[in-house]
Amino acid sequence: MSGGRIVVAGLTKQYKELRAVDNLSFNVEPGRITGFLGPNGAGKTTTLRMLLGLVKPTAGTATLDGQRYADLKDPLRHVGAVLEASSAHKGRSGINQLRVICAAAGLPRGRADEVLALVGLTPAAKRKFKGYSLGMRQRLGIAAAMLGDPRVLILDEPANGLDPEGIRWMRDLLKGLAAEGRTVLVSSHLLSEMELLADDLVIIAAGKLIRQGPLAEVMDSMGDIGTVRVRTPQAEAFAKQLTEQGATVTPAEGGLLRVSGLDAPAVGRAALAGQVELHELTTERPDLERVFLELTAGKAGIR
Amino acid sequence: MRLVRAELVKIRTTNAWWLFTLTAVVLAALTFLLNLVNTNYLLDHTDALTEGLGPEQQQAILAQLKPDVIAANLGTSGQFFGLLIVLVMGVMVATTEFFHQTVTTTFMTTPHRSTVIGAKLVASALLGALIWLVTSALTIPATLIYLASRHLDAGLGDASVLRAYGLNLLAYVLWAIFGVGFGVLLRSQIAATVTAIILYLAGYIGALIIFSVLENWLGWEWIQKLQVIVPSLASQLMVTNAELPGSPPQWLGAVVLIAYAAVSGVVGTLIVRTRDVS
Ligand SMILES: Nc1ncnc2c1ncn2[C@@H]1O[C@H](COP(=O)(O)OP(=O)(O)OP(=O)(O)O)[C@@H](O)[C@H]1O
Ligand SMILES: [Mg+2]
Repeated sequence: MSGGRIVVAGLTKQYKELRAVDNLSFNVEPGRITGFLGPNGAGKTTTLRMLLGLVKPTAGTATLDGQRYADLKDPLRHVGAVLEASSAHKGRSGINQLRVICAAAGLPRGRADEVLALVGLTPAAKRKFKGYSLGMRQRLGIAAAMLGDPRVLILDEPANGLDPEGIRWMRDLLKGLAAEGRTVLVSSHLLSEMELLADDLVIIAAGKLIRQGPLAEVMDSMGDIGTVRVRTPQAEAFAKQLTEQGATVTPAEGGLLRVSGLDAPAVGRAALAGQVELHELTTERPDLERVFLELTAGKAGIR
Repeated sequence: MRLVRAELVKIRTTNAWWLFTLTAVVLAALTFLLNLVNTNYLLDHTDALTEGLGPEQQQAILAQLKPDVIAANLGTSGQFFGLLIVLVMGVMVATTEFFHQTVTTTFMTTPHRSTVIGAKLVASALLGALIWLVTSALTIPATLIYLASRHLDAGLGDASVLRAYGLNLLAYVLWAIFGVGFGVLLRSQIAATVTAIILYLAGYIGALIIFSVLENWLGWEWIQKLQVIVPSLASQLMVTNAELPGSPPQWLGAVVLIAYAAVSGVVGTLIVRTRDVS
């Protein structure tokens, strides 16, 4: 696998009075999973649709190894995509949906059976699409994306409707694909899942880029919102002592204190100085949800 | 080419195609029987029917009973509904993609959208031809058998009969293409289907009324000749076997119909090419 770099540069989409995507620039690297995050209406789907040549940008470009999607020869052999509203003919069976795509993309018919097996839909192959559950539809979408064995995968909320087993399966699938050197760009609102999955993050709000970079970097950029968990039988006294040192302390049950404003070594030293008996001392890294909410605070909201 | 195949696979993998074909065959069979009974009656009672009529009216009835005209009429039975079915089918070929949102996948597979529409036009034309074939496979042999049983000397050897059947095929193909263009233009499945049906039926009945009213009102005789710009009437003109005096030439009907098919297809394609798919 080589290539597969996505470059979005100055991408803008103006709907009548709404600027859905606003001068957006970011890169997506091969061999990594990039999480594409943003509140509802941030412009994620619009961006992905522009990348796939379905929506015409007002300005800017989205390219794949320097080429626009529309200029790719045999695009399905390069890019596979599962879009939010990707749908299928209700009266056509799952396998036939895939055969139609095979015929149009010039792929061998047998690929339809292969990818259906890959997503575990073989038993439902001949059933009509209207009888599929939400998760089955999502799996069919993923199967369709895999038809051309693409080196770039673009998924818009693929976890939607998947059961826990399905989510795990998809995580392993995507990680495996990235490990093979493919590019994986995936949008999702499941932040805890994203924390497990993503190597890089692109966060947007109101059509604008908020932050992009490796997951760890994005998380650390909010370093000071981390808290320290302390458990002690002398909770009340220790809380008072820490507050005097300028920390903010939130007591909880069972002698548990959540301390912010001091790091773990400082809290430990304070305990030693005050002769406080400690049963637990841990740094709580802020989770992605917390970071995301901080980063997009005030910029969220449906437009 | 593979896109045409893909379109045919799309049609074949839904219930639509056999529903359309079956309806066309049933309606063709029914209209054939009706025409048969009617013709038979006319043949049996020619003398009684023409008695006491003016020479012009007599001529009109006798003209209908010429063997090659009978062959043409019976063999193209079911055309009225057949063309309507083919039109609706063309509309479906274009609009189901929007209805089921499969157009996203289709355009992702083939970003060059004009070729997609082109493939739809070709696939629909083929389907129109197929429906002509299955209905004709019923009506033409039946016609020949009937003609033989009445000892009427006409058949596939007659240029005028062959031409009638050929033009019938052309009409099926053109209305199918027209349907696709129309569907792409309107996109909404229900709106496009309903409008197409209304236009088709109103074209036959309404236009005739409007044009005679206009003619009487304005007193311009040539206005009647403008009828040919209405697609249904153009199609009727094209397939009418006998060239009636005073009516525009047959080829004009074909030209008008081809023009409609081409314009709707091209305009539809131009619109789809730049429109956002979301
Ligand atoms: N065809 C359209 N016409 C007008 N406005 C549109 C159109 N498509 C999207 N929008 C608007 O653009 C904005 C961005 O929409 P988009 O679907 O890209 O958001 P999103 O980030 O995918 O949101 P979600 O998380 O809810 O899926 C929204 O405010 C939406 O209303
Ligand atoms: Mg979205």
